[in-house]
Amino acid sequence: MTDTAMKDAWYPVGLCSDLSADGRKTRLMGEPITVKTGPVGAPEVLNADNEPLPVIIRFGHVWTSLGAPQTDLFTIPEADQPSRKLVDVGVVRVKCSPLRAVENFLDIAHFPFVHTDILGAEPHTEVEDYKVEIRDEEDEVWATKVKFFQPQAAKSAEGGITTEYMYRVPAPTCSVLYKTCPPRPGEWDVICLFVQPLTEDLCDVWPWMALYDEDNTMTELIHFQQMIFLQDRSILENQIPTRLPLDPGMEMPTRADMTSVAYRRWLKRHNYTYGAQLVAK
Amino acid sequence: MTHTLSLPWTPVALSSDVPPGTVIPAKLSSGPIAVWRTQSGHLSANGDRCPHRGMRLSHGFVRGETLSCIYHGWRFADDGSCTHIPAHPNLTPPSAIKCNPRQAKESGGVIWVADELPDEEPVFFEGYKPLRSLVVAADETSVREATQATDVDSGLAVNHAGTDIRLLVSDLDGEQVFVILLLAENTSPEACVSASRWAEVMRQKAERICNHGETT
Repeated sequence: MTDTAMKDAWYPVGLCSDLSADGRKTRLMGEPITVKTGPVGAPEVLNADNEPLPVIIRFGHVWTSLGAPQTDLFTIPEADQPSRKLVDVGVVRVKCSPLRAVENFLDIAHFPFVHTDILGAEPHTEVEDYKVEIRDEEDEVWATKVKFFQPQAAKSAEGGITTEYMYRVPAPTCSVLYKTCPPRPGEWDVICLFVQPLTEDLCDVWPWMALYDEDNTMTELIHFQQMIFLQDRSILENQIPTRLPLDPGMEMPTRADMTSVAYRRWLKRHNYTYGAQLVAK
Repeated sequence: MTHTLSLPWTPVALSSDVPPGTVIPAKLSSGPIAVWRTQSGHLSANGDRCPHRGMRLSHGFVRGETLSCIYHGWRFADDGSCTHIPAHPNLTPPSAIKCNPRQAKESGGVIWVADELPDEEPVFFEGYKPLRSLVVAADETSVREATQATDVDSGLAVNHAGTDIRLLVSDLDGEQVFVILLLAENTSPEACVSASRWAEVMRQKAERICNHGETT
């Protein structure tokens, strides 16, 4: 099995706000697990043999790992700033590779066609050059200086604006997006996509947000994010092949796809291949 | 293998299923395809996969004379070449970007597709018009058994309540077949309805035969 590297990573497996003593039965990389409130009230994750797995509580979610994580789960310092609204969006099941779900989140060129008149609109389709790097010290993929014209960038945005973005991949199935915050120039809204790989072709996606927004209710914010992600799902369930091709030749990137190219390269370098298609495996 | 399945052209839809400015999914034995018609009426077919990120092109949209992928709006001409990449509007797409064009032709109200251009023309049933298509979750042997049809040049023939019916049968994925019903051009509306209902009954029968080995 070549996926040991990914076994040692942390994955979201449930919302802290949704725990019960009976527990929620789910899967992680094919293995059945149970996420529950333990005897002393602390969250617990058990494998099929009823043995406890490592647990971290962060960003409103319960995180676990099937292996022996060598590092702590990443942090998002901005999310700790006071007066942000922390939004547990919930879960969306998608019949796709967990890696495809993350790659789509890193993509802006699809906004005018998939999130038409919300995150993008023709004729504003051009993706200007931006900066992409694999930061060796943090071992993360970063894209900065990403700019895009958006008709309605966020629930709190009125009218079209050019939005600036930064994307970050701190774990193989997680991505953090920092985005211009309409009510607070100078601050970034934080929007995350945490993906739980159920199998190589099936995942539970847990979007999570830390926003400056005083105008919208929690329900409105959740509905906005769910609408956006359900539009993405119609794409994700119709890509061929289902798994993310890591070898060049199968798919043809352009300059607008620099983040995706770096993400694929980073996955391959680490042997993060659960949900990937390799020519020679 | 019967002769319907081994035809150089595969019947994939009725012409009326693909009006100008639309795209539909279909299948060849070589894989899924997108069949589309330009605004001006020109029919095209290509592999159902955008070379950029693998999205199914049958989910896309037709504008003018090109097919666009729904994911990033990449535009393709009928020869499979990419003519526009919206993320880079000033870039001339490299000629290496292609979306696997197939050969598409219409004959007698039926759309026929082939991987490579065959030497011969698609089958034409003189004096017949297509009525409808249907997908049957059974193999061709079961369809033959259910219909008790006889072979007639490149198709099957059956007579239902005095109506002469021709069937075109093609394999979809080994588990389903695609069937097109053709009737004589002067068939009355009542007889058309009756033939359509007969087709539904035939489908159920063929699926029962295929699933349970039931015989007639």
